[in-house]
Amino acid sequence: MIDMVVSILLGSLTAMVPIVLTSTGAVVSERAGVVNIGYEGILLMAALFGAMFAETSGNAWIGLLGGAFIGMLLGMLHGAITVYLKGDHIIPGIGVNILALGVVAFGIPAIWGTAGQHQVPTNFRIQPLINTQYGSLSPMIPITFAIVFITHWVLFNTPLGLRIRAVGENPEAADALGVNVERYRFLATVYGATLAGLGGAYLSVDWLGVVTKEISSGRGFIALANMVFSGWNPVRALIGGFIFGFFDNLSVWVRTNPAISQIIPWQFVAILPYIVTIIIVAGIIGKVRPPKWDGRPYKRE
Amino acid sequence: MEEVPIIDMKGIVKIYPDGTKALKGVDFSVKQGEIHGLLGENGAGKTTLMKILSGMLPPTEGKIYVKGREVQFKSPADALANGIGMVHQHFTLVEVFDALHNIILGMEGHGHFSKIDVDNARKKLQKLMDELNFQVPLDVPVENLPVGVQQRIEILKVLYRNVDVLILDEPTAVLTPIEVKELFDVLRTLKEQGKTIIFISHKLREVMEITDRVTVLRKGEVIGTVNTSEATPQLLARMMVGRDVVLRIQKPPKEPGEPILRVENLWVKGDRGEDAVKGLSFEVRAGEIFGIAGVEGNGQTELIEAITGLRKIEKGKIILNGKDITGRPPKELYNLGVAHIPEDRTHMGLILDMTVAENAVLGLHWREEFTGILNSIRWSNVKEHAKKLIEKFDIVAPGVDAPVKSLSGGNQQKLIVAREVSKNPELIVASQPTRGVDVASTEYIRNYLVKLRNENKAVLLVSADLDEVLQLSDRMAIMYEGQFVGIVKPEEVTEEQIGLMMGGIKDES
Amino acid sequence: MKADKLSNIMKPLLESLIAIIIGVVIGAVVLKVSGYSPVEAYAALVKGAVGSIYGWSMTLSSATPIILTGLTFAISARTGIFNIGAEGTVYFGAIAAIVFTNMFANPVLGLIGGIIAGILWALPAALLKVYRGVHEVISTIMLNWIAFYTALYLVLGPLANPNDPNKTLEVPASARLPLLMKGSELSLAFIIAIVAAVITYYILWHTVLGFELRASGYNERAAQYGGINPKRAIIWSFVIGGIMSGLAGATEVMGRPPSYAISQGMANIYGYGFDGIGVSLVGRNHPIGIIFSGIFFGALKAGATYMQIDAGVPLEMVKVVQGIIVVAVAVPGLWDLVKKVVRR
Repeated sequence: MIDMVVSILLGSLTAMVPIVLTSTGAVVSERAGVVNIGYEGILLMAALFGAMFAETSGNAWIGLLGGAFIGMLLGMLHGAITVYLKGDHIIPGIGVNILALGVVAFGIPAIWGTAGQHQVPTNFRIQPLINTQYGSLSPMIPITFAIVFITHWVLFNTPLGLRIRAVGENPEAADALGVNVERYRFLATVYGATLAGLGGAYLSVDWLGVVTKEISSGRGFIALANMVFSGWNPVRALIGGFIFGFFDNLSVWVRTNPAISQIIPWQFVAILPYIVTIIIVAGIIGKVRPPKWDGRPYKRE
Repeated sequence: MEEVPIIDMKGIVKIYPDGTKALKGVDFSVKQGEIHGLLGENGAGKTTLMKILSGMLPPTEGKIYVKGREVQFKSPADALANGIGMVHQHFTLVEVFDALHNIILGMEGHGHFSKIDVDNARKKLQKLMDELNFQVPLDVPVENLPVGVQQRIEILKVLYRNVDVLILDEPTAVLTPIEVKELFDVLRTLKEQGKTIIFISHKLREVMEITDRVTVLRKGEVIGTVNTSEATPQLLARMMVGRDVVLRIQKPPKEPGEPILRVENLWVKGDRGEDAVKGLSFEVRAGEIFGIAGVEGNGQTELIEAITGLRKIEKGKIILNGKDITGRPPKELYNLGVAHIPEDRTHMGLILDMTVAENAVLGLHWREEFTGILNSIRWSNVKEHAKKLIEKFDIVAPGVDAPVKSLSGGNQQKLIVAREVSKNPELIVASQPTRGVDVASTEYIRNYLVKLRNENKAVLLVSADLDEVLQLSDRMAIMYEGQFVGIVKPEEVTEEQIGLMMGGIKDES
Repeated sequence: MKADKLSNIMKPLLESLIAIIIGVVIGAVVLKVSGYSPVEAYAALVKGAVGSIYGWSMTLSSATPIILTGLTFAISARTGIFNIGAEGTVYFGAIAAIVFTNMFANPVLGLIGGIIAGILWALPAALLKVYRGVHEVISTIMLNWIAFYTALYLVLGPLANPNDPNKTLEVPASARLPLLMKGSELSLAFIIAIVAAVITYYILWHTVLGFELRASGYNERAAQYGGINPKRAIIWSFVIGGIMSGLAGATEVMGRPPSYAISQGMANIYGYGFDGIGVSLVGRNHPIGIIFSGIFFGALKAGATYMQIDAGVPLEMVKVVQGIIVVAVAVPGLWDLVKKVVRR
């Protein structure tokens, strides 16, 4: 019994990392008023390039940083379009998601010469802090917790956080007081995408150890749902992330458990995280309040 | 030697990207320590001029001198750094922040990552409030505070930045008479402390009461600057309007007919779930204009939306021509003879990205004359209809296929009025029908409402413009906090009595 | 006025062209960096796609499903929402067509099956949006994944072909859509897609329903004031969109030789939903624009195979180009931006 609990707990913690990182980034970005639905694509591309960076440098940590770097670049692209060129917030995200489908599909054969999927060798993967018979604990788990708490503290206690929240609630008010709306919106967007990039690289060089065309599996969107669930609050996104991580992990676990998959087809277990997401979002709406200027470009007069 | 003015604007021209010439070479100067009124009608260019002075807008041409030194403002922050701050008509507050964080935003202390020193800010603010003789709660989200308090927070926000020149744009528009008096006390205190104040208004009485000098603007030009002590309201009115008296609307006496609209014990909630309309009952009869006056935000919007099917009714009944229409959707109401001129022209009355023709049939597009087989639209008839409206109401438009956003505000509003009238309604609900509309269109619209009344239609008029309600109404109600303080005949009350009622005080005498 | 109207059409057209050029140029850089010859690759692609009648037939048949899914996105965008659920709807449209044709052996009923499945699978997102306020981007993506696994279960299980482990039951010969050209993959499906685009155009600009959809797309509050029920508009938009994607799935299995079935990993019906979004965006969410951009993207798909064979470039390369084009289309005022850069 105990070992099952420990195993589920460890598995959930492992699975929550990419969702929590992305949600936390999305919270910051949307608190500043920039919606980005391109996280799914960022996760995918960061998974691909993260693995590539890890294998070329020979260091898994460089892989993680490389993933974050890819996220940062894509965040800058999104920020340039939405913040500086005052474009629509949804369409560039769709574009990045479609781009990612192409880049990963082309990248896997172009980089590794294999079709469909690439296995990241163990020595290029992040080594767990603790290895138990019930599962392991990645160093990325405490790092994720730290990122969440620091982000939370900065968002609600510092001048930077105050300004980020101000430009997402009422950019006009912030502008009138000399707060550079575009700069804070841009920085928040880039930060959000960078965290998603880190989460994407975690998929390939840490948790799953593979690169596939479907490796992100909708986690970028689940993270957005979790952000809504959290009420745009990083610490609460940690709690929501655990719930989503639990179901994510559960479906992976059931899929690989022949005893159960003989009773229920594994496909029906695989859809669990997505159904849970819809139910949670449908239940929470109306009880949380998005930032007032979320998704709206700001132009002075 | 003459002293150097603290503000000196020379030859200011402002042409908006759409080609509107808002300011046509304005010279404007303000002396240190005075309260300077900036008077003019809607659209005269007062706000534009002050937005330029406060760095919100760049001038197309012209120079600005502060204490004799030329300045160029790229942003409001530049103006603040030069000691100029503006309180806008529509407040720029972060609703979910408390007063303290709203005020310190942008100058929270050192560094981006240090913890904000809330205690220190609180001490400084307390001192500032003590000097000004007023208090505001610092820890409550500002959205939960009344507008009068929000306005003080705006003033504090500017003063916290040590400005010398404070610009107030129509500050009394949202205040009750009592709050106005309190505001004026604050302004006098500020003047004693040596601050300079620019007071934008179109209300003669207030300008006469509070200012030292007045500059009058009309259609983007300065008509003149006078010492208030040497001016009379009549003189200022003449300067402002360009003719002797505001044209009185001709309104023949008329005996109203049967009640068309009956509202019984109506309860409606506002956006934040508060009770906005609290048990209202009244009726509007055929051949009558029933006006509702009152400071904005006292439930008028919610009342109108409930009557026109746009807002949920919590309790009570609405009856049109004896038929219960409570909770019916707009389409059904329109088919039953209701027309609605909404208060928000650009966000509700029109769909700016659609064409003039499309907007000309919005809300009657399903009528037989505009539809063919399989619910198709007969565009030729739609365009014909639009052309008729343009002709009949003298609307200036580049064509029926032009996007409606290419029309000026006045013409947009005329299009709405034209469309609503073309529904051939029995009840016209008109909310702020002339707000932000040029003088000529205003006159036209007001006369048209009277014409409808003369044709035995029922008109329900809501306006924050007291003069409009007084001039047009056969009977009028004054609304305060979701209720009518009284229903009176305009000719039987004094402006003072109405002023008191607008502040929620009923004069029993 | 006339010139104004012209530039209203020309500008978006130009911007789409610029986006395509950007995609092609960056694609060339990617090719170069990856060690291929861009000239050789593109030459093979163009020759394969439009260099022969057969190439054209491949281009048009590849355009068919993505024109239909493009219409799904376009009609939602015109209603002010982002329905990206075409992907999942296509799967069920294809499955329903297989089931219906196997039951009735009739092409019309097969198409109707696809339409019904399309409507049914579009409704959850519509209802979640209207009654619970769930953002359609989140719900449709979740529904896509649910559709993927459910469809995969059906494909591998109940619908598996007892004679061929690589695919599902086939559409019976009597229920297949007639080919427009012998020996090609081009069938009546293409005509169906074109007719669907024209009908969509007609609905949007020449019916009361279309007027109401566009009005609520521009401004929900004003539409409501104008006697329009925006919730009804949203539901209709999803329903029409569902019909289009359902048809995309149905025509793909009923009118695309040689398989006339769903392959084991669903590869032959996978990805059309996302391709359609790009088609719609490049076609400026206009049904007629979508016909042309659909054919363009179809040419990319058709040519990709030749690029792989003749130039040895992985055919997924065209997806990169496609992605870059979509990102470039998202840049607002692209034409003005290019003008500014050129002037400098």
